[in-house]
This record gives sequence, structure tokens and C-alpha cells, in this order.
Amino acid sequence: MLSRAAWSLVLRKGGLGTRGTHSPGGTARSEGKMPPYSNYYAQRSYPMPDEPFCTELTAEQRALKEKEKGSWTQLSHAEKVALYRLQFHQTFAEMNHRSNEWKTVMGCVFFLFGFAALVIWWERIYVFPEKPITLTDEWKAKQLQRILDMKANPVQGLASRWDYEKKQWKK
Amino acid sequence: MAHPLQLGLQDASSPIMEELLYFHDHALMIVFLISSLVLYTISLMLTTKLMHTSTMNAQMVETMWTILPAVILTSIALPSLRILYMTDEINNPLLTIKAMGHQWYWSYEYTDYTDLNFDSYMTPTLDLKPGELRLLEVDNRTVLPMETPVRMLISSEDVLHSWAVPSLGLKTDAIPGRLNQTTLSATRPGLFYGQCSEICGSNHSFMPIVLELIPLKHFETWSTLTS
Repeated sequence: MLSRAAWSLVLRKGGLGTRGTHSPGGTARSEGKMPPYSNYYAQRSYPMPDEPFCTELTAEQRALKEKEKGSWTQLSHAEKVALYRLQFHQTFAEMNHRSNEWKTVMGCVFFLFGFAALVIWWERIYVFPEKPITLTDEWKAKQLQRILDMKANPVQGLASRWDYEKKQWKK
Repeated sequence: MAHPLQLGLQDASSPIMEELLYFHDHALMIVFLISSLVLYTISLMLTTKLMHTSTMNAQMVETMWTILPAVILTSIALPSLRILYMTDEINNPLLTIKAMGHQWYWSYEYTDYTDLNFDSYMTPTLDLKPGELRLLEVDNRTVLPMETPVRMLISSEDVLHSWAVPSLGLKTDAIPGRLNQTTLSATRPGLFYGQCSEICGSNHSFMPIVLELIPLKHFETWSTLTS
């Protein structure tokens, strides 16, 4: 904090942060920015920004703003739309419109799935070692028989599901 | 031992493990409740177009979500401590066996009535008989009498190991230069498998423990045969 205070003295600008470092105008325009930058930020959660969208008005637009000070019933529909466009960058509909980005994202995701699958297929052929003998069906059957013979987990586990009288799985 | 794709704990073969199963169910239910509450709240947050940007304070909800977790934690801690102290109860063991961890095998010493010492190495996969469990079988099983409290003294001759048998609810670190004690009491006969539970080098995964619990009469016969 001390270093930032010292740096601001060096810059001799009023504000700190991006406004202070990026504004060539200095403190004379600390609240506003030179076009095309502005303090206009409208979001769905902050729909009424502090400043209007267009700050540099042509003569025609200035005349329209004067007319706005009168009764609004005098304004035509086109003039109302023009005033709206001066005040706001986009309508709610434009601001909130959906995009097709999800299609790109899903496409890339599935492509990467497929690529990973190809890589794993190649690995299964060229890289992975032999599976141990204990994974063959014959061994697994003998193993299961051994586990049942020693009644492992007889309460709620595997052996509890085997019917020892009928020699079959319990229904 | 666990069967393939098993998710939960193995069936309890000792009273302490039974307590641990109940405690696990209790703690897991609390975890499920909290997780489903959080998931529900997240889904509520993400499925609305409404926005609220002017929250200034929320004293009631902040009090609730401070007190409620404290209550939940207490409800987890109390049974946990109860079981912890239960494991240290005095139970007058009838037999003492020492299990020493080495890199990478266990050795057992039965020195109460005999002078029995043996090593217990894992059976390599190539030497397994059909139907045996890969990476779990050993050449010399640790034979013990069932339904009797047995004192296990665990230590190590080189690096840290840990002597663990999940179905009996046992896990005790084997620390070189230190004797750690645990009591074992199995309610059923049979084979109980465990594996080394503290990283100890390249073959840490390949030094299992197999307990063979048999009735006392047969244990006495075995004891006379091996001495």
C-alpha cells in the first residue's frame, strides 16, 4: 500500500488502478474516459448503468435530448427508439441472447473423448502387459468358490447371498 | 476379504469392527445429508433468472449455519471418541504375539509358551494355487485362536509399516524402536486378510497379512506341532 501511494505520487495522477494507469488525460477526466472507452457497463444484474451509452452527441441528437425534456407524448416511436439507443448499448433481448457456443464446446469435448479412446486403444495393443492369470474366468470361478467355502463376509456380504443348502445364489 | 468391485466395508469379525460399522453408517448418513442439501441449494441457485444484488446482512442464516455445523460435528465426535476409548479397554488378553515389519515381509513371534518365530512372505502370482487370491496370500499364515483376546505388539525392524486387518477393525503402525499394542478378538473362524498400510518402499503393496483364526483346541494342536 505504501508503494502504491508512492507510485501514484510518481505518476502524479489522482486515481489508482486501471483508470489511473491507462488514462492519458490524467486527473482532469477522472470520472470519464476518452472514447471509445467509457464507464458504461450494463449487465443482467446491473441493468441501469450510471452513465449513458453515447456521451458525444451530434447536433441532431442534442436536439432530440432537448425535445425529451418536454412531454414524452410528443415523441414519435422512432425518436423513442433513438433515445433508447443513445442511453443503452443493447436491449434486454440483445444483451441476454443465447449463443451457439455450447455446440462448439460439446463438439470439442466429444472430439477429445474420441481421441483419448484412440490413444487407449493403441496402448492396449502396444503398451499394456499381459493380464495376470487370476483374471481368467476359470480362476475367478475357483476364487469365488474358495471365498464361499471360507464363508467370508457371511453377515451382509458375499457369503450371505449364497444358499449353502441348495448350493445356489439366494433369490 | 473384499470381493471385486466392493464399495462398502467388509463384514465385521470383531466387536470393535461392529461398532465401527455403525459409526461409519452414522457419519456417512450425515455426509449424504449435507451433500444433498448443498447440491439442492446449488441447483436452486443455478436454475433461476432472478437476481438479488442488495443483500446487506443475514444474521439469522449466519447464526444457523454456525450453530448447526457445530452440532453436527459434536454428533460425529461423541460416538467417535466412544469407540476410540473402547479400543483401549482392559480385556485381559490370553496370548501375546509380536508382529515385526520388515522390508518387505512380516515376521511373527509366539514367545509366550513356545519359542516360535516365522516369516510371512507374499506368495508370488506365479506360485499361486488355482483359486487363491492374488497379492493377498502368504506362505505362512498367522494362526490365532478365535474368540479369545489376543494382544498384538507391532513394531518394525527397518522403516515404518502398518499392520492392518480391515475385517477386524485393526490398523496399527509399525514404528522402528517402538512397541505399539492392539488387541484382537475375532468372533468367527476363518481367514482374514490385510495389507501393509504405510508406505515402506518398492514392495509396500506386496507384503500382506493373513490371519487364520481357528478354535482354541486346534490352535493348541498347531502350537505343539510347530514348536
